[in-house]
Amino acid sequence: MFGSDCDVGPRARVSHSVREDTDGLLVRRVLAGERQVYARLVERYRDRLGRYAVRMLGDVADAEDALQDTFVRGYRSLARCTDPERFGAWLFGILVNRCRTYAAKRTRRQKLVVTDDIAVASASVEHTEDRDASREAIMWALDQLPEEQREAFLLKHVEELSYEEMQQVTGTRIPALKMRVFRAREELRRLLTETVRG
Amino acid sequence: MAEHDDTIARAVQALKEPVRIDPSLTSRVMSEIEALPMPDGTAGRATVLEWLRRPRTIRLSPLGGLAMAAGLTAVVLAGSWFAGPRGTPAPVQGIATAQFTQPIQFVLVAPEAGSVTLVGDFNDWNLTATPMEKEAGDGVWWVTVPLEPGRYRYSFVVDGTTWLGDPNAPTLEDEFGRSNAVVTIGGA
Repeated sequence: MFGSDCDVGPRARVSHSVREDTDGLLVRRVLAGERQVYARLVERYRDRLGRYAVRMLGDVADAEDALQDTFVRGYRSLARCTDPERFGAWLFGILVNRCRTYAAKRTRRQKLVVTDDIAVASASVEHTEDRDASREAIMWALDQLPEEQREAFLLKHVEELSYEEMQQVTGTRIPALKMRVFRAREELRRLLTETVRG
Repeated sequence: MAEHDDTIARAVQALKEPVRIDPSLTSRVMSEIEALPMPDGTAGRATVLEWLRRPRTIRLSPLGGLAMAAGLTAVVLAGSWFAGPRGTPAPVQGIATAQFTQPIQFVLVAPEAGSVTLVGDFNDWNLTATPMEKEAGDGVWWVTVPLEPGRYRYSFVVDGTTWLGDPNAPTLEDEFGRSNAVVTIGGA
């Protein structure tokens, strides 16, 4: 996850002679003084990190604030990125903690509606209403989870981190993480089942 | 049960759908970092060196932590404590010694720990540069680090994964949102 190879876009798959610069190369160029190159790293990870932030915070504006904060902190600390080829994973660790801070700042979230333009555009017209209702129910249920359970669930099942990676990112021991994921699944099942039956 | 698994599977599928962030975020980030120094560390080190050489008050912290009954308590001891029965300081790698350095001893009481390392501004937060040594029998880990006058953030890393701050020390948040203890070493 977040390795540079998986960043190669469709164009690069067509022509092997066209290949995007690796994270490591871009990081080294920034550290060598090419500040503007950092924009390419932001572009590369903006949406990918944005998904976690939006899911975790449940609010696009909050998510964008957390993202901006993350990218700026990442720039300021870039010299401490000890493995530039894994810049994305390193930055993700910063994001997870920034999301914790932003989540803690909120007293109580307003109504949770997340619109994924790409996903909506790809949905068939006849299923759009059902799909949106289902998505809204899922977002609502996710929002009901305690923050630590929501974080663990998203990292494990949506971002597909291993428990070892989760431990590195969160600083929480693996048995506790497993318990949080288990409880999150149970609670989501309960909430979504009740929603359907209701 | 299968119905329940399908419920979670559908939720995960929905949550994995891509999210499109406002593309203007990139320009906002770039505008913000325009005002920042380059992150190569070179200019920063020069500035820090000047800052470190300014005379300042000693605020060694958290001395009070040693008296706590808590299982895990971190303390930083002044240079004078260093000239005690513990003899030769533990090896310290990756830390440049300079003319005005003082030996500062960092101590952590962690009887259950298998290993402890000290990380901080003084060793670029390197997880392997400054391992701590365990005092036989009493669960006290220690290491002595030569530090120039200045202010440093630090943390202890237990068993390679658990970061420990200190409840009795002043704290500063790092870029990962962790609260790190701060020690201030006075000038000569």
